[in-house]
Amino acid sequence: MTAERASGGRAALWILCAVLIVFLIAPILVIVVTSFNDSPYLEFPPRRLSLRWYGTFFTSAHWYEPALLSLRVALVTMVSATLLGTAAALGIVRGQFPGKRSLELFLISPMVVPIVVLALGFYFLFSGYHLLGTPVALYLGHTTLATPLVIVLVLSALRVSDPSLELAARSLGANYWWALWHATIPAIRPAILSGAAFAFLMSFDEVVIAIFVGGPDATTLPKRMWETIRFEIDPTLTAISSLLTLLAVVVLVGVVLAERGRAADRAS
Amino acid sequence: MTPPTAEKPWRSREGLLVLPALAFYLVVYLYPLSKLVSWSFFDPGFTLKFYRELLGEPAYFRALSNTLEISLLVTVIALLLGYPIAYLMATTSARLRSLLTALVLVPFWTSILVRTFAWIVILGNNGIVNRALVQLGVLDRPVKLLFNMIGVQVGMVHVLLPFMIFPLYGAMSRIDPAVVRVARSLGATPVRAFLRVFLPLSLPGVAAGCVLVFLLAIGFYVTPALLGGPGEITLATMIDMMINTLLNWGFAATLGVVLLVVVGAIFVAFSRLMGLNRIVGAGGEHAR
Repeated sequence: MTAERASGGRAALWILCAVLIVFLIAPILVIVVTSFNDSPYLEFPPRRLSLRWYGTFFTSAHWYEPALLSLRVALVTMVSATLLGTAAALGIVRGQFPGKRSLELFLISPMVVPIVVLALGFYFLFSGYHLLGTPVALYLGHTTLATPLVIVLVLSALRVSDPSLELAARSLGANYWWALWHATIPAIRPAILSGAAFAFLMSFDEVVIAIFVGGPDATTLPKRMWETIRFEIDPTLTAISSLLTLLAVVVLVGVVLAERGRAADRAS
Repeated sequence: MTPPTAEKPWRSREGLLVLPALAFYLVVYLYPLSKLVSWSFFDPGFTLKFYRELLGEPAYFRALSNTLEISLLVTVIALLLGYPIAYLMATTSARLRSLLTALVLVPFWTSILVRTFAWIVILGNNGIVNRALVQLGVLDRPVKLLFNMIGVQVGMVHVLLPFMIFPLYGAMSRIDPAVVRVARSLGATPVRAFLRVFLPLSLPGVAAGCVLVFLLAIGFYVTPALLGGPGEITLATMIDMMINTLLNWGFAATLGVVLLVVVGAIFVAFSRLMGLNRIVGAGGEHAR
């Protein structure tokens, strides 16, 4: 009787969770399906299918130019956040100095500062140096946002990684930087790659800082989308949204594969 | 293992690796935040007028109470919706757990702007929900689901739900299933075993998830701005208004400082109480 009731409860839990997962996933699916509409009225389900809104995105400078700027900003952010973040994480774990714990807290604190507050701070900072509306403002702003992410990922990888290889290399007389490059970095490579991928994605999708410091001259793709959403419902938005979702899925799959690779390395 | 003394110079040199990031943060992170604080206190001489205005003007006070009300409600709803999913993730097979994790991670990493836009398409007057309800005869005419509290709550819960699920799952996965089995074998009903054993053990996750979601909700900008109406003006949307429409830098800075202080206080209080890693790590490992 109790077992029966337990399995009844289990079934109810499954149904509830299925509904909740639909709530999480449905909006994304709806947008993807709608993006193949032939009509400008966002019919769902679409009566006639076409790729015309994807065509608009790739052929209209109104859309692809912001996308190219976003790509540039995301690449610069990815490189700078990965370098700064990886180095900082190595320094925190391997170095010995007073106030390490507070420093770690400080270095990951931008994650909890509301983005709108950061954006406001950047606005004040960059307006003082005539950097508002330049890609440089976006590079710097996005790097501040993405670096803590890299630090957290690399820190957790470093803390579980085995330092014996590095110690062995050094006890055999290897120079510090040689040991770092040939022993430590390979061991945490998946975390570094994940951090880089997430830094790229975060920058490519970021809208609040872009609104505050981008001005009229440095319009990223999310900023252009934002302006469009507030003004009208342009079906091109559904095509771009689908492409952004695809980008997120690609990054996630890449990260999962990188982690799998690490697990396989450990097993062998 | 104690490193040999010859190791010491190496070690201190490795600490130098934090310097580039530290220098970057001082210039691009700490310095702008200090500018924020100084803008809120100077005009051009020292003044408290922005803070006095904040306390005196009901409109600003409403933005603050709106922010807290929206964030609290989002936190409660996210907890109620997130707990069952996390529970299922923690108690099901490894395969289904990976599937569930993937289904939570994909929306998690999809742009907030995209998801908010999706809700506009779904909940609008001509949106899918309204058209379906009218066609089915449930409604005579569309109901307003956007630009009000409903829209804001749906959109924000959707964005913040994963931030609740992951810390909850983290705490639940550390619960030894044997403990619950023992309670059952001693005659506890499933409900009783859950309430008296599992639920209390999952409370650290509940606390971490609620703090994280509340913290993020307080500073949320995109979703309230796009899905809310005039009644859902928050501190974040008001900051945008001050800068981009009213050009009142001093007041924008003051609102920013208030937001920063509220978030900072919660962060410091809870990072001591339950370990910073649990708050930030929850966001970090799975991301944002």
